[in-house]
Amino acid sequence: MIKYIGKRLFQIIILLFVYVSIVYWMVELMPGSFVAHFIMNPKLTPEAKEALKKQFGFDKPAHIRYLLYMKNFMKMDLGISFLYYPRKVVSVIMERLPRTLFLFVTATIISYALGFNLGKRIAWRRGKFLDTAATFVGIVFWTIFTPILAIFNIWIFGVLLKLLPLNGFIDPNIWRKATISSQEIFKLLILNGGILLLVFAVALLIASRLKTLTAKKMTVWMSLLAVLIISFIYWYTSGYGIYALDILRHLILPIFTLTLLSFAGSMLVMRDTMLEIIREDYITTAKAKGLPDNIVRDKHAARNALLPLVTNFVISLGFTVSGGIITETMFSWPGMGRAYIEALNSQDIPLLVGLLVFTGIFVLIAHLVADILYAFLDPRIRY
Amino acid sequence: MEILSVKDLKMYYKTKLGYVKAVDGISFTLDEGESMGIVGESGCGKTSVSMTILRLLPENAEFMGGKVLFNLDGKTVDLVSLPESEMRRYRWKGISMIFQAAMNSLNPVYKVGDQIIEAMLNHNPKLSMDDAKKKVAELFELVGLDPRRMDQYPHQYSGGMKQRAIIAMALSCDPKIIIADEPTTALDVIVQDKILREMKKIQEKLNMSMIYISHDIAVIAEVSDKIAVMYAGKFVELADSITIFKKPMHPYTYGLMHAFPSVTGERKELTTIPGEPINLLNPPKGCRFAPRCPKADERCFSEDPEYVEVEKGHFVACHHPLEVGEVINFGE
Amino acid sequence: MKEEVIREPLWKIRLRLWMRSFKQNWELFREKKLALFGLGVIIFFAIFGALYPMYPVLMKNIFWKDQEDMFSAMKPYDPIIGYDPFIPGHPSPPSPRHPLGTDPLGRDILSQLMYSTPREFTLGITAALITVVIGTMIGASSAYFGGVVDTFFMRLADIVMLFPTLALLMVLSAFIELDLLKLALILGFISGFGSITIVLKAQALTVKVRPFIEAAKSAGGSDMYIIFKHIIPNILPLSFLYMMFGVTSAIFSEAVLSFFGLVNVRMSWGIMIHTAESQGYLGGEFIGKFWWLWLPAGASITLLCSAFYFLGRGLEEIVNPRLRKR
Repeated sequence: MIKYIGKRLFQIIILLFVYVSIVYWMVELMPGSFVAHFIMNPKLTPEAKEALKKQFGFDKPAHIRYLLYMKNFMKMDLGISFLYYPRKVVSVIMERLPRTLFLFVTATIISYALGFNLGKRIAWRRGKFLDTAATFVGIVFWTIFTPILAIFNIWIFGVLLKLLPLNGFIDPNIWRKATISSQEIFKLLILNGGILLLVFAVALLIASRLKTLTAKKMTVWMSLLAVLIISFIYWYTSGYGIYALDILRHLILPIFTLTLLSFAGSMLVMRDTMLEIIREDYITTAKAKGLPDNIVRDKHAARNALLPLVTNFVISLGFTVSGGIITETMFSWPGMGRAYIEALNSQDIPLLVGLLVFTGIFVLIAHLVADILYAFLDPRIRY
Repeated sequence: MEILSVKDLKMYYKTKLGYVKAVDGISFTLDEGESMGIVGESGCGKTSVSMTILRLLPENAEFMGGKVLFNLDGKTVDLVSLPESEMRRYRWKGISMIFQAAMNSLNPVYKVGDQIIEAMLNHNPKLSMDDAKKKVAELFELVGLDPRRMDQYPHQYSGGMKQRAIIAMALSCDPKIIIADEPTTALDVIVQDKILREMKKIQEKLNMSMIYISHDIAVIAEVSDKIAVMYAGKFVELADSITIFKKPMHPYTYGLMHAFPSVTGERKELTTIPGEPINLLNPPKGCRFAPRCPKADERCFSEDPEYVEVEKGHFVACHHPLEVGEVINFGE
Repeated sequence: MKEEVIREPLWKIRLRLWMRSFKQNWELFREKKLALFGLGVIIFFAIFGALYPMYPVLMKNIFWKDQEDMFSAMKPYDPIIGYDPFIPGHPSPPSPRHPLGTDPLGRDILSQLMYSTPREFTLGITAALITVVIGTMIGASSAYFGGVVDTFFMRLADIVMLFPTLALLMVLSAFIELDLLKLALILGFISGFGSITIVLKAQALTVKVRPFIEAAKSAGGSDMYIIFKHIIPNILPLSFLYMMFGVTSAIFSEAVLSFFGLVNVRMSWGIMIHTAESQGYLGGEFIGKFWWLWLPAGASITLLCSAFYFLGRGLEEIVNPRLRKR
């Protein structure tokens, strides 16, 4: 196992270097590349230009510049953003990353949970009304023009029903007197979410050792409830609850939109895998053992169909960093995706390239995690 | 004592082009402790018979009539008319099954022992985990597996071991009847023979009834008290194993008998039955074997032969049953 | 049995076989209601787009009989430079003169919609065709040759799949003027070297081990001959299926890039929404009030994208054995 991970890690590092090199040369070979943009940018002071020249070697030939870029990349230095001058690209990304991650991890989990549950049901009742209806609705949302869905949701829930804020990340009126920055609250929220996930995972592990179905369900639900109560008490007593609530309120609409957009992906993967597995002999055996239908479906069929879904899930998490461009723009959510558009509109090439490079890193990490997880879930795989 | 009695059972698959008459009026009885074999070419509906009895049928299957009377502890129920929730209680506990493809009958993501325990707990929720494990260990020993292997996954088993585990699983709820559908086809001949003998021993020891399903009449003859020969959805002949070998009455039975070499028996020429089995989709009138039968005449093509008891325990469905010692030539 | 000499030319036999399998597959396809729906939508849009030249003529004869000069001067049904001076304020809601209203610049929405339709088709099909041609050739060659060729293309696919397509296109748009042709080429190449090669290679591998390949080899068929005559025809159904998904993603990508104003196209469904958004008609209360600015274009993008996807899914259930019913 360790040996396998090491091997994969090695491959991934090579892939990463190839990827970064491609990104670099792609930009370098474009008309009006790096250099021109640096020199022409009016925001940069002459001193800054000199410093950058030295760091990135703009007066040197292209291949030397490439080596310099790679050297800086290994030091995790992707240059200076023009738009947010004089901040470093990496620091801009690090500020944006948690917001995007929180939004997308939540949305992806919800959409996969929905897709998993729907997928196993419609495969079990193939060709019935639910199958056709869920497939139809799912594909329409899967291929819907994303900005339109966002606009539509904002209009319904924000304008007509006035239930939720239209867009943005925080409501300035609430935060005027705040003694803590939104970023701090955000980090706390992420920590809270992480603990919840961790407890959920541990509860699932414990539950898999238990005998009866009720005991399993109780373990999972009780531990989740406990974490929720403890978090509630924490937020209530610390006085930050109102701010956290504000951020959460702003999260609902983007999450809802993202879930609608993407549940069909996991649903259809689940359905197709289930259809294949339902024909396996061990499903007939499970039925012959006299097990109730829903246990055959959940414990025997869905458990096996879970494997490709988990891989998909982790890899789609990797792409969240870039996948949010449309949604984040429509909801004015100041995350990584929106940074793309901002960087694009202000010709902030270092930030743009930095974001592209970072996305690649993220996807690669996701691949590694998917491999490891797969090995855990499928006893047949031993490396 | 009669434990299973199947009466004129009919199950058709509905397709776009019409009904596929996979099980078309089958009757037999099975006594406690008795073992029976069902023999026929592939595609004749043998597996459909077992699936119909356990009601493990695909969606397009339709019951067209008949009864499956099952006697459990002095109470007789008709499995055909039972609601699904009731039926579940009879699966595995009443009738369990060893499937054709034993290799794939174990779920790859669960430990073998757990899969057996699952079946036991399903029918007896009060069973404690320790008792269940003890029972699995006993079963493993019974079928000749190392009890320590119960915590292993199916992929760590060899083919023969999987087969034994499947048998252990089939025995786990002390069923009255086990249906073994081609239980050893996927194994090599030596293991095949060994496992069959062991199954026979276990069956006698536990006084269970057994239905073997195979395409190989020689394999089945060793372990069955009586043998039914199936052709195109119908039983054409049924008799005890000795009778069926000594005086087969249906030309098809005769043909089958001479289609397999006998391991121990004398050297003789193998015959093949030319032609293909008829399509079960909307079969024509008359005897279904007629197109391949050298003895067929006009009557055979127009009139369905009745399935009658010609002597005690010997049923046959043929207009022109063979005499003792008669030799027929299928021609080449 | 006597050996009969087959005198029919090979192409005739092939055609007959092809017709027969087409008929069988059509029977299967007809059962898939969603796929039929998709096909219907695609045909609808094809006709809708083809009717575009007739639309201004028709409107001219109904509403502009007395103002022929004005009509030729203002071109009120031109999707790009048109303007209707007889309407007091633009954007105007749907009316008999403008069945879907006008946009903030006074242009007719329906004519924009119709004008863009053939362009969406061209873009989608070109991009998908490039993807499939590349994917099929690479998939077939990697499966057939294996070894270095295989390793190279598979690693290449790994790297291509690392790139987030939309973000990459955005970065590219910062450097080059993307027009429809360039966009189609880039989209085609990115997806052609990506995941599709892996899927098609897997399929080609199952073909490669079939006996007729061995037979063709021993009969002295060259590598190219075997790849083109035996392997590629057998993975074509799957390629065709992936083409449908390719069309969906190409049209979608164009719409998104147009929406952000990153494509150098004069008119497209995405541009229509971009116009409405950049003029501030998609904010707050305005969304419901000026629905005709975003709904027709948005619905068209969604319908056409989902139609190709439905068609692809329907074909997948026929082509892909693991999804067939027993």
